[in-house]
Amino acid sequence: MGDIEKLAGSVASLQASFEEHRYICSDEIATAVFLAYQLRKPILIEGPPGVGKTELAKTAAEMFALPLIRLQCYEGLDESKAIYEWKYGKQLLYTQVLKEALNEVLGEAKGFRESVQALHNFGDIFFSEEFLEPRPLMKALKEEDGCILLIDEIDKADHEFESLLLEILSDFQLSIPEIGTIKAASEPPLVFLTSNNTREISDALKRRCLHLYIPFPDVEIEQRIIGARVPEIPPELQKQLVAFIHELRSLDLKKMPAISETIDWARTLVLLHAEALDPQLVKDTLNVILKFQEDIDNVKTEVPALTAKIAS
Amino acid sequence: MGMDRTISNFIRALRNADVRVSTAETLDAIGAVELVGYSDKEHLKRSLSMVLPKTADEKVTFDACFDQFFRFQDVRGEVTNDSADSTEQDGEESGEGGDGEGGGAGGDPQTQNRSKKKSKSKAKKNNLYEEEEEADLGPGEVTDAHSPLGKLLMANSRVELAQSMAEAGEATNVREIQIFTQKGLYARRIMDHMGLADLNREISDLRTDTRVPARRLGQQLKQRRDFLREQVRDYVEQQFMLNADVSGKRLREEMLRSVKLSNVEHRNFRLIQEMVYKMAKKLSTLHSRRRKIFKRGQLNVPKTLRNNMSYDGAIFDLYWKSVKVDRPKVFAICDVSGSVANYARFMLMFLYSMDEVMPKVRSFAFSSDLAEVTELFNRNKLEDAISKTLHDYSGGSTDYGQALLDFKKLCLDDVDNRTTIIILGDARNNHGEAHAEVLKELYDRSKRVIWLNPEAKLAWNTGDSEMRKYGAYSHQVEECNSLMHLERVVSNLLRQTA
Repeated sequence: MGDIEKLAGSVASLQASFEEHRYICSDEIATAVFLAYQLRKPILIEGPPGVGKTELAKTAAEMFALPLIRLQCYEGLDESKAIYEWKYGKQLLYTQVLKEALNEVLGEAKGFRESVQALHNFGDIFFSEEFLEPRPLMKALKEEDGCILLIDEIDKADHEFESLLLEILSDFQLSIPEIGTIKAASEPPLVFLTSNNTREISDALKRRCLHLYIPFPDVEIEQRIIGARVPEIPPELQKQLVAFIHELRSLDLKKMPAISETIDWARTLVLLHAEALDPQLVKDTLNVILKFQEDIDNVKTEVPALTAKIAS
Repeated sequence: MGMDRTISNFIRALRNADVRVSTAETLDAIGAVELVGYSDKEHLKRSLSMVLPKTADEKVTFDACFDQFFRFQDVRGEVTNDSADSTEQDGEESGEGGDGEGGGAGGDPQTQNRSKKKSKSKAKKNNLYEEEEEADLGPGEVTDAHSPLGKLLMANSRVELAQSMAEAGEATNVREIQIFTQKGLYARRIMDHMGLADLNREISDLRTDTRVPARRLGQQLKQRRDFLREQVRDYVEQQFMLNADVSGKRLREEMLRSVKLSNVEHRNFRLIQEMVYKMAKKLSTLHSRRRKIFKRGQLNVPKTLRNNMSYDGAIFDLYWKSVKVDRPKVFAICDVSGSVANYARFMLMFLYSMDEVMPKVRSFAFSSDLAEVTELFNRNKLEDAISKTLHDYSGGSTDYGQALLDFKKLCLDDVDNRTTIIILGDARNNHGEAHAEVLKELYDRSKRVIWLNPEAKLAWNTGDSEMRKYGAYSHQVEECNSLMHLERVVSNLLRQTA
């Protein structure tokens, strides 16, 4: 654990290390991870899609060399898929086995009352950890050396599911009615929750988390991101491309191009051996950055003006 | 002033500015401060902004609050190097707001001091300010001050001074300050508490002293006192901005909750709208939790197995998952003629702010003829839709009978036993045909008919009001003319359908 402690010891060292792993992060992001580690608090990350929310958790796992356990949320997700499930098949088999061995268990017992007593004395393992199938949340608690737990797109899950998370988020433990409370191993997991803000997350959940909002990055950061992710891009093109994307984001679009789209576009342009943006090239590749035909049609007419603007 | 104290004062200011901060979050904030310290303000701000505000709106408020709160913190919190300044006037002056004014002021302390004094002498009643000017004695040897405040001023420790100011602030409850005009009062109280009386006596004694160093001390004390006064006013102003201004807003909200909606002035519309959103949000979260959920179409394996355990593991009693989300189906019929328009505005606002728990609201507007405006609301922004509705349908004299007939023609078939019909209107029919039998029909078919009347109960059934006839065919008749009433009605509506 020494390494992690050193890494997470200061905001600057975290930032540097993220950069080594090709994740360029703002001061806010680094501070959030720093606090999350130091205060042992989950981080709730909000922001538009494609700004690197999930990527942050993945990179953190890589950086700290911890296993990443991911729980993808969706409507209808419940405890049997998130926390634990009983191994029903095995439980059924067990009852069969028990039936066979019933005579041994009951032994010399005479009469109904004594038999029941004998059954009581027999250790009941029907609901025990042997028959428990751990799901992501419980797996994360059982990791001896800690892990990164990513609860992705929590806003997609039902309202009720949030309540299920409260216990693990505040105390790093889970209560299973049949068994009792399962506590985290010596090192609690570092939890990242992401949300695309399709609905409000409940106050109870927010209260237990640090709250990080990742907006679209500014020009300088985005250029560094492109530089880190697509190192082979010509510097002039890199500048123009980011400037163009920022111009696009100021337009009224159905879906804004996110960082992931910028990266895709940069890769596309590198493949096409482009050296600089020209209107025709942009028009031909617009479908990489814009995902709605309506947006593409609207932007197409603007392209010459936009490219002229960023060239000046 | 302890670290916890500072942070809890800050949180108080945040809460005042409508950022919700729980006790747990306060503890987190203290933890974060212990970790990052006060020295790097940007770092502190970033850290606290992860812990305290939890929505985008709150973050904006937080930023403003932080800047305002910790601007002052600069003066009293951290020991800066120039607190042990050699050129004393300079050191004192630069304390003001920490905005680097010190350099300029140090060059010519004399003129600055004079101009300050002149402007003040008009405002102050205190006769000590009426002293005639005397030649500046310049720097040089001074005697020791005797009064506690004088000593403090001459010690020139900004930290101690600020601390003493903060203590005096605590003692005079400056945070209770409510109105702008109280600022002078609190400033004076704080000065008094810091020992102004003794200092004034000392200054006036020193002025008549024969020794030059003593007179010089008197002059310097005076300068510093004047400067301190500025600082105290500044401090009180800060406290006022942090604590009172917004609780003024809260006061206004409190008042607006129960005021008659037709009396709400136009300038308060925005605030009301915010409140409606907030109330609707509260109700939404309250009731969305109460929804019953079954999952349908899938075998519920665990439950099936568990329930069949007693049958020796032979599975014959199946359990299915099913989803049943029972959301109220609401038809809102609003009288939008002049007398009731404002109520209609706020009720529509309320209903449409709750689309999370009430997605199936259909709305109808009438004064003489009735038309459905649901589409209008789906396509436009809420405010626009409301203004447009009021504009398009509010002409003509009210005719409830015709409106009911129109409604029947338009969507009687859609009314079923899960429908709640809300009618908002004063039932003043201009002595026209009431057509109560149509309402009866609706009454029989629907789950509930709720009639909301913005008039006071006493006025019902007077003049051309048909409330008695209509009331007979309503499941529930309510007086409804304030946000509080609205909230209660909507809450009941959700409770009964959930």
